[in-house]
Amino acid sequence: MDEPIEMVALAGNPNAGKTTLFNALTGSAAKVGNYAGVTVEVKRGHTHTPNGKKLEVVDLPGCYSLEGGSPDQELSRNVLIGTHEKVSKPDLVICVLDASNLERHLQLALEIIELNIPVVVALNMVDVAEKAGLRLDAVKLSEELGVPVVPLRADRGKGIVELKQAIRHPFPSPPDLSWEKGNEESRRAFGLATSELSARRPSAHTSTVSDKLDRVLLHPVLGWVFFIGIMFVLFWSIFSFSGVPMGWIESLQEFLVGQVEGAMGEGDLRDLITRGMIEGVGAVVIFLPQILMLFFFIGLLESSGYMARAAFLMDGLMAKVGLSGKAFLPLLSSYACAIPGIMATRTIDSAKERLVTIFVAPWMSCSARLPVYLLLVPMLLGGSEGGSLQALVFLGIYVVGTLTAFAVAKILRGRLGPDEVESHFLLELPPYRLPQWGYIFRHVLERGWAFLRKAGTVILAIMILLWAATTYPKLDSDDPAEVLAHTVVGRISHLIEPIVKPMGFDGRTGTAILTSFAAREVFVGSMAQLFQIEEADDEGETRSRIRQRMAAEKWPDGRPMFSPAAVISLLIFYIYALQCLPTTAVVAREAGSWKWAIGQFVFMTAFAAVASLVVYQLANLFSPG
Amino acid sequence: MSHPAARELETDSLQSLSQAQVGCDFQIKFVEGPACDQLRNLGFCESLQVRKLADGRNLICSVCGTRVALSDDLAKQVKVSPVAA
Repeated sequence: MDEPIEMVALAGNPNAGKTTLFNALTGSAAKVGNYAGVTVEVKRGHTHTPNGKKLEVVDLPGCYSLEGGSPDQELSRNVLIGTHEKVSKPDLVICVLDASNLERHLQLALEIIELNIPVVVALNMVDVAEKAGLRLDAVKLSEELGVPVVPLRADRGKGIVELKQAIRHPFPSPPDLSWEKGNEESRRAFGLATSELSARRPSAHTSTVSDKLDRVLLHPVLGWVFFIGIMFVLFWSIFSFSGVPMGWIESLQEFLVGQVEGAMGEGDLRDLITRGMIEGVGAVVIFLPQILMLFFFIGLLESSGYMARAAFLMDGLMAKVGLSGKAFLPLLSSYACAIPGIMATRTIDSAKERLVTIFVAPWMSCSARLPVYLLLVPMLLGGSEGGSLQALVFLGIYVVGTLTAFAVAKILRGRLGPDEVESHFLLELPPYRLPQWGYIFRHVLERGWAFLRKAGTVILAIMILLWAATTYPKLDSDDPAEVLAHTVVGRISHLIEPIVKPMGFDGRTGTAILTSFAAREVFVGSMAQLFQIEEADDEGETRSRIRQRMAAEKWPDGRPMFSPAAVISLLIFYIYALQCLPTTAVVAREAGSWKWAIGQFVFMTAFAAVASLVVYQLANLFSPG
Repeated sequence: MSHPAARELETDSLQSLSQAQVGCDFQIKFVEGPACDQLRNLGFCESLQVRKLADGRNLICSVCGTRVALSDDLAKQVKVSPVAA
């Protein structure tokens, strides 16, 4: 029978370099596990001691103390005392401490030592401490604590062998405590005295590179100039550089469709595979490059230490709508895709602020709305794509979405009332560091795979259902519009025409809107199908053909169907409607309630419909026809 | 342990981190208020030195070699005295 694998837990403050050490110990075998109902992640992996013994390594969420009530602290405490449902009690704990900040990091280590489990201290970032002028004495620290202390640089893999030696059998026995167990004051005094002995600080405050950079990047005027510049470069890069890989995905999709069409005879099964599965799922997968690039830039900003500065700068502005600087990152991410944005709300301390941020995040115009905007905006500007006027209208669209999100956040935050435990802005500004490329690329790949797995599977199921609804029941006719009108979707669109007409749309546009409720970018393809436009090889040409056809469409009384009022009404609908089922699924998971997710879906759809109706009716009032 | 009245007197003679001058070093004397545990966890402990780096709606301080941004409300809960140069 196999011997059970012993478990080693990594514990420490946030920013102590635990993830870096975890990766250094486990290599690429890291696995991310999500436990239902707990909004924190536990990473698991395996390592081997120098004598070949396999150990399981569990990376606990970073926390400052075991005595708090937040989910990460609760999880760490439950694992360490052995009461967690899914993670067994560790056989040994590696306390990861930042050597340059021992006074603070030692407090958690002392709390863990009190738990009477074998402990090894990994004294990380010794280079940073030495650069800051600290005189480190790992031997003295080990004597004072009564546990092995291994100095290391996890980012360079230095000290990892020594650490593996220290976690060999027999594990070190828990020490006799030199402070009063359970007495916070005694523990704190011992921690400070031990820090003073083993990591003596220079008496004079020396100005570091980070101090000098912060003088510019957090300057009341210059700080904003840099902030706006960085954000501009970020968005410009995402939208400019992702065009090439998006073209590759499109070519792959066309190649697959061609292969299937060549190998199979005409029929429902071929149609399901090409139109339903490949093109349907492809419509979502095409945004993968933009999402990967966004995660790359976010990883770059986080890893360099700038993200905390951005949150600091934005705190004043966000406070005006009842949010804090910590809501900035999730909202920024939502411009590319609301899913990672909503997941990033986990860093917000206040539960109510987190809910409000989740609620308004989908109003940051995401990249999936772009194909719809690209189709409709030129119709307001004489038909051609590009130019500064189009860029200005695009900017206006982003501003409308953002301002509405802020207004709703302010109202909602006021209605939810103050937090039970008042939360204040308190944020560590880590020293600026060169990006850890390995970590960033691994993170980007992990997130990309998660996007493909989660969004892809949900979209695939919906696309198959949608294909069936736009195919059955069948009608023996050569007119595609007539065939579609006979299907389930066609019948539904006939039913909804009286509802969408006051918003300026006919039944076909209503149907296109209906088909895009699972994923809004489907709208362009649906319009092409419903208005019987043959798709061209070039996407721009297809959009141009759809626009020409839309411009020529008339109501039975001879009025143009897609008047500026109707186009603006359609744009308004797409700015506000929550047409993305994967987002709703992620909201339900992150908010811990389907009620909240469904409420958000209903509210946003109703808001979009009312806004669209009001805009169309007002526009007609001032400029009839 | 100090007498409550004596401590009150000492507290009155101290300034809060919110009132402290930018660019100077201070010693933390007391951390008192609803968020004191949160502050201590981030290194704002009695007897440690703190340097105030920037003022405003949120202040920036350097404590135990780490820069921390904290709201003015929190800074009012940290009582400090100047460190002799």
